[in-house]
Amino acid sequence: MRGIDVFSRPLEYLTPLGEQVGEIIREWVENEVIPYRRRFDEDYLEHRLILPPFKKLLGEYGIQRILFPEDLGGWGLGHSDYLCVAAFRMFEEIARADSGMAVAFGVVFWPLVLICCEPHVNRRLCEEFAPMFTGTTEPVFSCLAMTEPQGGSDIENVEVLKGSTIRTTAVQDGDEWVINGHKLWPTNTGGVADLMAVVCTTNPGSRNPDDIAIIFVPCDRPGVTQGPAYEKAGMAADKNGDIWFENVRVPLWYRACGPGDDAKYYGEVVSLGNMGSIAFAVGVMLNIYEKLQEYANRKVYRGLPLKENDAVAGVLADFATTIEAVRIIGYQCARMCDRQDLYGPRWSPEIVARARAHRYFAADRALEAIGKVMNLMECFGPDRDWDVEKHWRDIKMVQLWLGGKQLSQMEVARWFFECETL
Amino acid sequence: MNDLELFPYPKNRLQKTDLDLAASLQDLVQKEIVDKRLELKEDYRGLLEPNLNKLLVEVGLQRMFWPEKLGGEEHNGPEAAYTVAAALEQVGRADTGLAYLAAHNLALQASLAMRENLNQEACGRFAPLFCDGRGPVIVSFVLPVFGEDEKAPAWRGKSFQVRARAASGSWVLNGKGVRPTCSGADAHLFGAWCAVEGEEQPAFILVPGDAPGLSRGPEFKKTGLAASRNADLDLSGVEVPAENCLFRGDLEYRRLLSWFYLGVSAAAVGGLLAAYQILKEWGDNRVIKGTGNVFKENPLTGALMGEIAQDISMSRLLAYDLAGMLADPTTFGDAGSDMVYTAALMIVHHVLATAERALHRTMELMASAGYAKEWQLERYWRDLKTVQCYVGSHELAKHDFARWFYGARTL
Ligand SMILES: Cc1cc2nc3c(=O)[nH]c(=O)nc-3n(C[C@H](O)[C@H](O)[C@H](O)COP(=O)(O)OP(=O)(O)OC[C@H]3O[C@@H](n4cnc5c(N)ncnc54)[C@H](O)[C@@H]3O)c2cc1C
Repeated sequence: MRGIDVFSRPLEYLTPLGEQVGEIIREWVENEVIPYRRRFDEDYLEHRLILPPFKKLLGEYGIQRILFPEDLGGWGLGHSDYLCVAAFRMFEEIARADSGMAVAFGVVFWPLVLICCEPHVNRRLCEEFAPMFTGTTEPVFSCLAMTEPQGGSDIENVEVLKGSTIRTTAVQDGDEWVINGHKLWPTNTGGVADLMAVVCTTNPGSRNPDDIAIIFVPCDRPGVTQGPAYEKAGMAADKNGDIWFENVRVPLWYRACGPGDDAKYYGEVVSLGNMGSIAFAVGVMLNIYEKLQEYANRKVYRGLPLKENDAVAGVLADFATTIEAVRIIGYQCARMCDRQDLYGPRWSPEIVARARAHRYFAADRALEAIGKVMNLMECFGPDRDWDVEKHWRDIKMVQLWLGGKQLSQMEVARWFFECETL
Repeated sequence: MNDLELFPYPKNRLQKTDLDLAASLQDLVQKEIVDKRLELKEDYRGLLEPNLNKLLVEVGLQRMFWPEKLGGEEHNGPEAAYTVAAALEQVGRADTGLAYLAAHNLALQASLAMRENLNQEACGRFAPLFCDGRGPVIVSFVLPVFGEDEKAPAWRGKSFQVRARAASGSWVLNGKGVRPTCSGADAHLFGAWCAVEGEEQPAFILVPGDAPGLSRGPEFKKTGLAASRNADLDLSGVEVPAENCLFRGDLEYRRLLSWFYLGVSAAAVGGLLAAYQILKEWGDNRVIKGTGNVFKENPLTGALMGEIAQDISMSRLLAYDLAGMLADPTTFGDAGSDMVYTAALMIVHHVLATAERALHRTMELMASAGYAKEWQLERYWRDLKTVQCYVGSHELAKHDFARWFYGARTL
């Protein structure tokens, strides 16, 4: 039976490091995740099954260090021009087993991009936080706290709303920030996070980008409280909860990039979040392809393997075609984010719009295709033991986060059609 | 106006008793299920089982068709199709899974106790179980599926899960790893469409859940439908009286399915109405674009909300259209005729596909809230998808449509 490696990837984009780590992750996934994942849903609160594989991957294999400069114990990927393609491969491999884990994994690095990547490396913050990640074999989790009770999309809608709806405040008091507010939903909360990057305003209601501040907060600071993980339709391996900040104090220099630059480079995390989301969708579909192969070979219709029926073959072909197309788009998106010399800065409205377009197209296609596969599998489609339904539940979130599909549509229309009032 | 009345349906065709039943069910499920959902979630013992009892036994859905002299309500004319639709959309609004279970029960009643084709013998044997008030009767079906043995006897390409052998005065049934349409762990009665040894014509045979030789595997986990605790079955030499074979013909089999599809369509419409109510609350209150404008006033999200309402309206109309066809066999033909059966199959697939799309869209509009169990939306999304899968492959159902519309012979 053909395996997942039959699907196209632009080979000219691949890098030895990405491929090597990809292979390591594939083995880890086979041994440490796939055998246990059917019990992850019930483990959403405790992560008794979910944490140990993370310990191995992040802590023991040391992958949590990759972004930090080499002289600080990292692998220096923040300086590379192949970070995104390598990340795409890693995300795909993890999502093949569990896209919730892939998200939790990706978000370990997500806020660190703001301080570890060229051209805005914040050396002092790298020195401050690198030891947390490099000096241990325990897994260390970060989170990027944007969403608030009144809405996540508006906060991510920087181009139009310019941070005016952010209610979490950072007030300067001497040489410290005092942070107050309430965030919800960030990946790796629910008690998991060790380090947060918090999107705050220094002047509530202001539309001046200088007033958007992304401030790092170690989670053991007094005044930080994380609530328990929410119960969700899927993605049990990603804990999400409330975080309350009550007069939380951190040094002024914990601000990621500084006035104006925080707002500017916020676009970068949006682009990368979208790029990663496509990889999650691809990983999930690759695993469903494996399951569908097994199903369509094993099950019989009209005296032949199911796959030999022309109508069924049409559905199978559509599924393979979706993987082909979405995977190519995803790798292209990653390459675009890597090669800023060719495509422009990845925080620009142009790249944000392109990455959003790629992501919502990918998520829509994936959901449609997976929905059809589940239906083709009839009563085995919703059966946990076939794994497809889990992926269907999990991957829905990829379409909803980062401001949801409609904000994506607005950003895409704004850029491609130069709309001015959306 | 009651917000469910906003969605058009042929109210003029419903009897007053149907409307009264729907109204009382609406109150009952609101109080007993919807209002307790946040606390009890999808708890089978705490929420779903007691309500199954309320609906089937106390409200009496499981007595509906049976003759009065056997303890039933003898509401067994074809117009009962409207009653089924009106009742199950209310139940489905509270819990799609409960409505799905009730759809099995009502379809079996309809196929045995309809005035025009009343099966006296079978009614006499089975009505007491449904009418004695002792508890809900969970009915499940065992239908052909994609099997794993190329040589196994098949029905329209899919493998029979159970093989029956006629013995003197009884049937002996065998099947391994049999997957029922619901409630393998709990059902009291399995209606199995079986291959008959040495004969072309299959048989629909009722198997009591406690029949010797029938064993149930562990409940397996699935996407949704918490009310249906499903498990695979093994039937090893299960012997049931010859009279448990209710019918052998295609016509009766399709009749059963047409009624089942009506119930399922109505259950799905109920799920859609629930999603509407959740989205309405969201649209009335959520503010986006920081302008103080509520969600429903945004041109993009407003349009999407409109599309969802359109989907719900069309689905409801279709479900009631199916009820209308079943309610009027003089005009449309028997529920088991090719035309009515094909229409039922088209409608159930259309409604379920529409429901999937509408629930996807609703979730998109509610973003994280739609994905969180707390907001209750996601369970309808899971339940409806599960029902869709259990009803079967839409792709292959299209062959049934092609057979009827184009006279395709070999599909
Ligand atoms: C598994 C998971 C992981 C997550 N990870 C993170 C994380 O790491 N960090 C974090 O901060 N948050 C995270 N979130 C939250 C997520 O990013 C937000 O839910 C999302 O951004 C949408 O915000 P909201 O839920 O508040 O919905 P709202 O902002 O209220 O938006 C609801 C809907 O409104 C519509 N809409 C919004 N804006 C517009 C517009 N301008 N025009 C038209 N329509 C619009 C869209 O349909 C949108 O889906 C996560 C959520 C989940 C479930």
